[in-house]
Amino acid sequence: MNNGDAMIKAEKIYTLVKKELVKANTIVNEPVRKEAEKYKGPFAEIILENMKIAQREGLPLCQDTGMVEFFVFLGHEVRLEEPLCKTFERAVRDIYTSQPYRCSVVADPLFGRKNTGDNTPVICHLFMIEGAQLEIRFLIKGGGSENLSALFMMRPSSNVEDLKEKILGHLKTFGVNACPPLHVGIGIGGTSEEALLLSKLALTKDFEERNHIEAYRILEEELLKEINALKLGYQGLGNGMSAYSVSVEYYPTHIATLPVALSVDCYLCRKGRFTVEDS
Amino acid sequence: MKIVELKAGEMIQYCGELIVMRDAAQKKIREVLEFKDQLPFSLEGKIVFYAGPARKAAGSVIGAIGPTTSIRMDPFLEMLLKLGVKATIGKGKRNEYVKELSKKYSAVYFITSSGTATALSKKVVEAEIIAFPELGPEAIYRLEVKEFPLLVAIDSKGKSIYD
Repeated sequence: MNNGDAMIKAEKIYTLVKKELVKANTIVNEPVRKEAEKYKGPFAEIILENMKIAQREGLPLCQDTGMVEFFVFLGHEVRLEEPLCKTFERAVRDIYTSQPYRCSVVADPLFGRKNTGDNTPVICHLFMIEGAQLEIRFLIKGGGSENLSALFMMRPSSNVEDLKEKILGHLKTFGVNACPPLHVGIGIGGTSEEALLLSKLALTKDFEERNHIEAYRILEEELLKEINALKLGYQGLGNGMSAYSVSVEYYPTHIATLPVALSVDCYLCRKGRFTVEDS
Repeated sequence: MKIVELKAGEMIQYCGELIVMRDAAQKKIREVLEFKDQLPFSLEGKIVFYAGPARKAAGSVIGAIGPTTSIRMDPFLEMLLKLGVKATIGKGKRNEYVKELSKKYSAVYFITSSGTATALSKKVVEAEIIAFPELGPEAIYRLEVKEFPLLVAIDSKGKSIYD
């Protein structure tokens, strides 16, 4: 590597993204599989059967193969051949038009809602970091889990109990519709859109990854217990766990605000996280 | 076993016909009816499955298919029941008024397993698009299924498993 002259080829990113998208759509991750194997309630058999067939035949775990969201951490020394979203869109287009996935993106959200036919565009959030590294994370979330997203602009004088009440109240009412057990992502602070973005970033973390600040780690652990006490259960039928993990991300905020955002991922938690080195 | 006699919480393995539709198709049906046009198909006595399949792999009957969130379909439910639909299949809780509609029309709401779409697609033995092909994955399909797992979430007396 020549310092300050790292070039990452578009082809390399494209190939890796394609491979990771196929993997996330067809092969369930280990923590999800392990939990599913423990589940004994209604539909337990078909849940495991689905994981087996999908992997064996390269078929999607869920018919809703998502609108793909990317979160990119781009080192300031990295040079690229083209804008990343262009590379991502090529990868998504090629995979979603060649694999038996569903193209679920409509071009205009309000007028016409005509399907774009190739599952593009993608959503891409870019974060600049120091160094020569490129880290790509993505979520493949279906519409059912996305519709549960919520933003609460709380009073700055609110406390942790007020926050829990909002989160638990929302999940109690709507949680079963997002295909539990859930991964619950919570973004606290920043501005409204920052909080939502943090809640999504939280979903890119592994289940066992805890916040390194003790107060937030305790909040994650307490909320997980309290969400599981809601007894949403597999398939929303009250049996088995309700949430795998609660991941909290926070950011400083304005004296007058306390934005709190909630995002959830469904029980399949289809996602990816990998780094790309320069050639 | 008659569907109308099933009780909330009962599980069945259904063999027979399903009509697949979701948000866009139901909105379109409403527009057709508002213009007092004739629908190009009948829903009398049918079971509607809220779903939109993935593209099918070569050699398969249909692509991955599974239930979508039913609560989004609630504003269209009475329209379907008036057209003769006897049951709907989806996932998740519905609005309170669905219990009343279930009683009024002696209709059943089933759930089937979500996030298991490839396994469910193997239970489909026949599939054809019967209307609105321009909607792509949201077109209306007619399916023949065998041993399709269904759980009664709201029965025809308005009793719900979520209460």
